[in-house]
Amino acid sequence: MSELIGDPESATTDSAADAPTPGPAAALDVDRVSFGYPGRRVLDRVSLRVRPGEFVALVGLNGCGKSTLLRLAAGVLRPESGRVSVDGADMARTSRREAARKVALLHQAAPAVPGLTVRQLVRQGRYAARGPLGMLRVGDDEVTVRAMRDVGVDAWADRPVDALSGGERQRVRLALALAQDTPVLLLDEPTTYLDLRHQLEVLQLVGRLRDERRLTVLMVLHDLDLAARFAERLVALRDGHVAAEGPPDSVVTPGLLREVFGIEGRVGRDPERGWPVCYPDRPLRLP
Amino acid sequence: MTLTERAPTAAPEPERSTPRWRRPVLVLGALLLAVPLAAMLDLVAGRALSIGETWQALTGGAADSTAHHLVWQVRLPRVLVALGAGAALGLAGLILQAALRNPLAAPEVTGVTPGAVLGAVAATGAGLADWASPAAVMLAAVGGGLGGAGLLWLLTGRRHADPAGIAVHGVLVSAALGGLTAVTLLAAPGEIGSVVQWMVGTTEARTWQHWTLLWPWALGWGVLACLTAGPLMLLRCGEDVAEAAGLAPARARGLALLCAVALTAGAVASVGALGFIGLVVPHAALALFGADLRVALPGAALAGAVAVCGADAAAQLMSRAVNAWGAEQLSVPVGAVTTFVGAGVLLVVARRHAVEP
Repeated sequence: MSELIGDPESATTDSAADAPTPGPAAALDVDRVSFGYPGRRVLDRVSLRVRPGEFVALVGLNGCGKSTLLRLAAGVLRPESGRVSVDGADMARTSRREAARKVALLHQAAPAVPGLTVRQLVRQGRYAARGPLGMLRVGDDEVTVRAMRDVGVDAWADRPVDALSGGERQRVRLALALAQDTPVLLLDEPTTYLDLRHQLEVLQLVGRLRDERRLTVLMVLHDLDLAARFAERLVALRDGHVAAEGPPDSVVTPGLLREVFGIEGRVGRDPERGWPVCYPDRPLRLP
Repeated sequence: MTLTERAPTAAPEPERSTPRWRRPVLVLGALLLAVPLAAMLDLVAGRALSIGETWQALTGGAADSTAHHLVWQVRLPRVLVALGAGAALGLAGLILQAALRNPLAAPEVTGVTPGAVLGAVAATGAGLADWASPAAVMLAAVGGGLGGAGLLWLLTGRRHADPAGIAVHGVLVSAALGGLTAVTLLAAPGEIGSVVQWMVGTTEARTWQHWTLLWPWALGWGVLACLTAGPLMLLRCGEDVAEAAGLAPARARGLALLCAVALTAGAVASVGALGFIGLVVPHAALALFGADLRVALPGAALAGAVAVCGADAAAQLMSRAVNAWGAEQLSVPVGAVTTFVGAGVLLVVARRHAVEP
């Protein structure tokens, strides 16, 4: 019993800085993947490659298949045809547990769990790294503490998650994904429901973590301006196809606004930093 | 201002983490002490013997053979069965609430308890089992409980991942099975008195045979249930989080529900359809131990044992009082106590939840 209750992390917090770092960043390869639900094709032979350590944003309208593509990339969904691989390993042949050691996926929203503390939630990210019975493993708690520290939520470790604000909760959920200690991080609209300040905070945080931990990041973002500003490369999806991809400078154009987002608009430059800024004018009539 | 400046980065001091586990451990210790206390109370609560006589019989002192028989053959098995059934029901309730992500999920409303009742009643009605032979009744109840849960499983079809769907179908299945039990009783009235007592939940006339049937079953499934604490905790966090963290939710949920069904069926088979224990005890366990199911699951088992045993003691004391008023033959079944107290506690829980956003 004492093994279950005793909390070894208290004794080992000091060594959190020595926690294992993920090895060299991994490449994520989505190769001609198709997927659909009965009566509806969601993705049609989509190919997308994220290089090791690259920060890629996935943009497009609601329902264009972004979230589905992310789930396929995480191995939570299996493609009907085509192949998803991480560092060459086929995700379709990988068990759920094994896949979660390679790819962490942060969903848009998570239901509230009454009474669950920040530490208890973040520790759930260690599930895949543990033995079959879920017993604690050496190093587990260091990784948990480090994940909380990396996103700056360690001071609230023993507070209930429900008691936090939206921005704080989002950081806790980011810590949960980081606790998986994977080389690939997939984020599904991590800035939803956040105000401007917290949107900036979360994206800056992801950028910083990407640099520090050498993460490969694929992120779905609704805000094209933020995507253009933070991502190295944009991939625009439309009706289950890749409509455009490349660095923000070359991808964000009035043509992209028209074809991918269905709006008439102009694209300017940030006067100081030079990144593209969109000025949407009006929605186009859908064909 | 950058994030790093604003974010609290102070390392938590090692001392701070001590109270974090001290509280659950203290509560667990207190509950461990409460178990023998409740058992002792239950042991001396019966009407025929005084406390002194009970103690003498228990310690093998100079007691007459009737007292010895009463304590060793009637009261002790009754107390043990109450403890075991309570532990099983508390555990089953917490598993159901966590796996279905529903604070109102309980054995009573997931088809398990009504199925077990129907199984036992139908078996006795058909003459396949007899109230004097616990083994056959227990077998029928376990079969019925599994059948009720299986029916729910079939009805929810491909929507096993949807907790709300399971809850709604569970209420429907439970109502239908309850109706079938009533029909069976009308068709084959037989020993309607003992059946009705059992449907309310009773610890009267439990024998060592009940105990020998109950404890290995409850212990085995209980240990298995506690070992699934990790996956259960992920299930409680939601399908998406569980899957992303590396759990195959369908399989984990199936195993957890199997544990809950087996535990419930075992408990119902030995004490009948004790109301509200599986619904209320999990709330108490989560409030006492926090959301860490590695502690809360064994905690729920202990809390359930204390609750049922305490309720049984209360029921016996009430029977004494009722007898003193003149109703000689009347005895209050423990199920009546758990239902009344449980309903009250649930009312408080519901109100507290309603106030929270």
